[in-house]
Amino acid sequence: MSDKMTLQVLANHARAAAENMAHTLHRTAHSAFVKETQDFTVMLMDRHGDTFAVPMDLGATWYPGLSYRRAIDMVEDYRPGDVAFTNDPYSGHVATHAPDTHLWKPVFHDGEIVAWTGGHIHNTDMGGAVPASLSRSLTEIHQEGVRFPPMKLVNEGVFDTQILRIMETNVRKPGLNIGDIKALVGALNTGERKVHAMLARFGGDGFLSGVAALKDQAEAQARDILRGIPDGDYVFSDYADEDSDFANPCRLHLTLRIRGDSAELDFTGSDPQLGSSLNVPSGGDPRHTMLLVGVYYVLYTLNPRLLLNTGLTRPFRCIAPEGTVLNPVAPAAVGMRSLTCARLRSVIFGAFSQAIPDRMPAAPAGNNCIVNVMTHDERSGQKVIAAVNPVVGGGGGMPHRDGTNGSGADAAYLKNTPIEITETEVPVEFVKYGLAPDTGGAGYWRGGLATEMAFRVFAPDTRITARNRDRSRFRPWGVLGGRAAGLAEMVVNAGTPDARRMGSADTAILQPGDVLSIRSAGGGGRGDPMGRETWRVAQDVVRGHVSKEAARRDYGVVMQGGEVDETATAALRGEARGHDGHFHFGPERDAFEAQWTDAAYARLTDILMALPVHWRFFVKTEIFRRMEARKGAEGVNAAYAETRKRFPDIPHVRTHAEAAE
Amino acid sequence: MDGNTAPADWKIGVDIGGTFMDFCALDTRSGRIASLKVLTTPDDPGAELLTGFDLLDEREGLDPGAVTRFVHGTTVGINTILQRKGARLALITNQGFEDVIELARLGMPEMYSLFCHRAEPLIPRDRIFGIPVRLRADGSERIAPTPEIVHDAVRQAQEAGADGIIVSFLHSWRNGAQEATVKAMIEAEAPDLFVFTSSEVWPVIREYERSSTAILNGYVHPRVAGYLSALEDRLAVRGVPARALLTKSNGGLMSAHQGRRDCVSMLLSGTASGVMGAAWLARQAGESHVLTLDIGGTSADFALIVDGEVQFGTDERIGDFPLHIPSVSVSSIAIGGGSIASIDSHGVLRVGPDSAGSSPGPACYGRGGTAPTVTDAMAVCGWLGQAEMAYGQLSIDRDLARDAVARIAGPMDRSVEETAQAILDIAVSELFVEVEKLGSRAGVDLRDYALMPFGGGGPMLGAFLARELGMTRVLAPRRPGVVSALGGLVADMRGDFLQTVFTDLDATAPRQLCAAFAELQKEGDAWLKAQGHVGPAQVRLSADMRYAGQSYEIETALEPDWLCDPARLATAFHETHRRIYDFDDPAGAIEIVNLRLSAIGVTPKPDFAEAIPTTAHATPARQVQVHLNGARHIPLFERADLVAGATFDGPAVVCQEDTTLAIPEGARAHVDRHLNIHLELAE
Repeated sequence: MSDKMTLQVLANHARAAAENMAHTLHRTAHSAFVKETQDFTVMLMDRHGDTFAVPMDLGATWYPGLSYRRAIDMVEDYRPGDVAFTNDPYSGHVATHAPDTHLWKPVFHDGEIVAWTGGHIHNTDMGGAVPASLSRSLTEIHQEGVRFPPMKLVNEGVFDTQILRIMETNVRKPGLNIGDIKALVGALNTGERKVHAMLARFGGDGFLSGVAALKDQAEAQARDILRGIPDGDYVFSDYADEDSDFANPCRLHLTLRIRGDSAELDFTGSDPQLGSSLNVPSGGDPRHTMLLVGVYYVLYTLNPRLLLNTGLTRPFRCIAPEGTVLNPVAPAAVGMRSLTCARLRSVIFGAFSQAIPDRMPAAPAGNNCIVNVMTHDERSGQKVIAAVNPVVGGGGGMPHRDGTNGSGADAAYLKNTPIEITETEVPVEFVKYGLAPDTGGAGYWRGGLATEMAFRVFAPDTRITARNRDRSRFRPWGVLGGRAAGLAEMVVNAGTPDARRMGSADTAILQPGDVLSIRSAGGGGRGDPMGRETWRVAQDVVRGHVSKEAARRDYGVVMQGGEVDETATAALRGEARGHDGHFHFGPERDAFEAQWTDAAYARLTDILMALPVHWRFFVKTEIFRRMEARKGAEGVNAAYAETRKRFPDIPHVRTHAEAAE
Repeated sequence: MDGNTAPADWKIGVDIGGTFMDFCALDTRSGRIASLKVLTTPDDPGAELLTGFDLLDEREGLDPGAVTRFVHGTTVGINTILQRKGARLALITNQGFEDVIELARLGMPEMYSLFCHRAEPLIPRDRIFGIPVRLRADGSERIAPTPEIVHDAVRQAQEAGADGIIVSFLHSWRNGAQEATVKAMIEAEAPDLFVFTSSEVWPVIREYERSSTAILNGYVHPRVAGYLSALEDRLAVRGVPARALLTKSNGGLMSAHQGRRDCVSMLLSGTASGVMGAAWLARQAGESHVLTLDIGGTSADFALIVDGEVQFGTDERIGDFPLHIPSVSVSSIAIGGGSIASIDSHGVLRVGPDSAGSSPGPACYGRGGTAPTVTDAMAVCGWLGQAEMAYGQLSIDRDLARDAVARIAGPMDRSVEETAQAILDIAVSELFVEVEKLGSRAGVDLRDYALMPFGGGGPMLGAFLARELGMTRVLAPRRPGVVSALGGLVADMRGDFLQTVFTDLDATAPRQLCAAFAELQKEGDAWLKAQGHVGPAQVRLSADMRYAGQSYEIETALEPDWLCDPARLATAFHETHRRIYDFDDPAGAIEIVNLRLSAIGVTPKPDFAEAIPTTAHATPARQVQVHLNGARHIPLFERADLVAGATFDGPAVVCQEDTTLAIPEGARAHVDRHLNIHLELAE
């Protein structure tokens, strides 16, 4: 298998097998999460449990670098026909929140395990404190549903009915869970059959050495890309709007160190472990796939022929200190980690944007908001829990074209559900589903527009959850003179006297006739908007993507009727002042960072990291409470002194800075 | 004719592509087939038809008055979409939902790339007009259209310069009356605009897919309708008594008259009949698993024949858009003999998607083209231009081909031959990627398949592509230029009808299903009658079914008498689900979304003559020089000299009137009793 020609044949076979598995799961699943949102993955793994092939057309994009090794090792005595599973985020660090149920199946050849087929589905509900098992307000993993550590679910082809009964007893929609799990087992069987075909074609040894070569190939591709990026330290931060119900921002901080053909991602300086469910349980694995998803996007964008498997994670090492938001300690809640993961990706994009400004887009909208409705269907007399469309926003302006409208970049895998299907199955009536004008960041290449969705409900006490809503406070950033995008928003009964703006909230309770409107953020702009070709601005105006006022204000283009007034435009553009600096963040973040400077955060991190884990979030919250009229490191010191005074039981520990003095 | 006193009776299949019009004429008295290629005349569509009749008269003594069947396939529709040269349309839809066609299903290809993007819609946002109308999910009307509002929308559409209007409203799959009302208002207001509603084109649930199908129909309508009426006029002028029939995307036929409005059902006209023709030839040649590859001037189409059967689907794509009507599963890529090679802004050599078409055509045709094309690259390499082509209407000027290729060889700092070879390699690799994806989707191992190249360009590139794919067998039919035209001659009339029932499969289902079936049968009968079909008819019944809770239906073949037996219907679904997905759920509740009926008017199948094989090593006509990793001399065979049983080895070139077969090194060729050439490629 040494020659590149045959390796490509094996790669194509592996890819085809993965596509087949995804096709089977996607087409046969029962829950909207799997079949519409495509919140699932499937993969082929080598004999150690390292992923070597994933589908390119279906499913989520998060797990090409996932290793099942630790979870596999927690189960003994595999036999042909067995399927093992887990959904526990703290057993083996394969599952990353309780609804994600991962299954894996050994593939035997001559009595030996030569490969595994695996994958995950997002179950609609795993029980616990709230429907759908996910709420930012939860503080402990035990509130987030029933957990199964790694164990066998299927023994030599026969389902363990005791496990299924335990699950059925504890979850709210057992039919959906069981239907999806059966569909995933079907997909694993498809994958096993395809691997057997590959074994017949390539032979046992040829298969094993070929799989190893595929991983080496991905590693070599990743190292090639890194060599093309200038060495250096690239520092970037981004914020989730709120870290918990206390509503302080959650900061993620990255120092990206590129050295030749390898890279280190140091997340030191990110927030402490949170008292909410926004934690990302990486277990401190330096190559945990959740920490590297942004990297997959960057690498693939730079080389679309990249093989996606665990090999490409080898040149990377992540540092996520224990007791922080990216490496929480049990029993921290983790249910809403996808919101944090979206910010994690934008932090990575921002760091790479500084390293290779010519080749990276501006920030995507970055709020992959999943909307669920719990209501009563007056037609059937039944309670309904259903996902309606995801509300995601546009991509960032690219080096060569506008950001895509309505979705794109790291949200491109999400699909919508036809309105006709939703309205037939769920008692809601849509009022709008489309694009929102003036929401894309201005730029030579405009950011993609936000999506706006509005629907009416008919039953009392209808509960809406809009998971992963974010970017209501901190805008998706623009680069190289391009501007930040429009903010996300959620409003009940917009445009009426009793309109309710929901701020950063991700839930709402609606009464009959209420209309809920949800708008995502847009994508950031790229390059100076005053240089954008005037015909493009005019076209945006004619198409309703940019208002006449915004054309004049943001682009310096004066429209007369449907035409550009070239003279007035030239005059206006002549007076325009561009934006200096690599990034444009918008007034909200600028104001926040005037108070919370880098030095302030450095001091905060120093204080918190010295404290025992269970004190950190408490102290962070108390310091934030006392920052009014204060700023910078001095302000943090003063706020901390005041906090210690109020809470003298805070343990006395020497901070890193104090130790150094 | 040796005592044959039967009156003359000709059946003619004609297929038009970007460059040639292909004729396949069957003299039913002798079972003999005459084939012919005529260059298309885009400036005067239909003129090539008369040229063809003249040539057939001259060579075969064809009397137009003796033509009892005339079947036509055309790529005019699909090319209109691929080249984005269709009608200027406006869309009237629900207010608040104007962006449905841009958002599509949200997801996009290349999902790991931050540069992923969707295709531009065929109707830009400034010609989409939302009006306050609304149906509920049960089909009842919540907000009715008013003449004033429709009037305003129509006026805006006219100001925007629209040629036609598509009307698509939410839930019209359940109740088409609202769309019909608005259509009537538009027609009263603006009789010069053509109007199509989404429910009349294909009343399927899912607003994006249904709207998109209606838009495709309207987008190609003016060109297709204009083309078809010109065609019918020419036939009438020439005194052809047969009614013109069209090949459809579903592999069947309809009247040309029907095709003027029902344009979307003939988008894959020529391509689908190519697969039908290929399946017919494959059965004759004893191959049951075949990858067909039809390369014309502007595009390449490929399809799988599994166990001898053409594959059908309802989610085919036309360029960037989904096509939701039942179609022979054919994948398409804009690479053909006329595809133009160019150097992009990064200095990278590209092939396509621009095509020189037939006018001006490849440079080597000497019709004024100067851009280097795939065909020119073949000529430079010596695979083409060694003999007359296209029945003597074309001679290949290799000097012109060299001049064209030299235009990009210079900037690339490569020799003309090297550049030509690179153009061919890139064209083959473009095809490779698309074919691999098809194999992956279909879940088949292409190495178990034989590649059947046809169309004018298939035989030029087919064996090279087969080698790239690891395939070892190639089946080159005797008349690869007219497979689509032949497909029309062996096809049946076929109309597809759908009723969305959206019902649980329970004890009450049979009543609804039987009512829907009766309705569909009525539609089918009326359709066959309207096509002028006389003779035996069949119905094929199927249902789109799923387990309650699933989002995707699978088409399950049914017998009409099962409709009153829910248990039998359930069994059929469980079995189909298991066959496709490896499992079923016998306890699962089942929903029936659509009932489908195909009305088939069976046509008599022609008989072809067979040759008696001899064992003989074939003798080349001469040696010619080609560029194949450097200049070398290889044998050239005349196809007409290759008798049944003949064998020879590659590299070689086989010339015939309608195409050239390029055979790479290491291939063994033999000729079967239908005069097909079978190649065995070294692994």
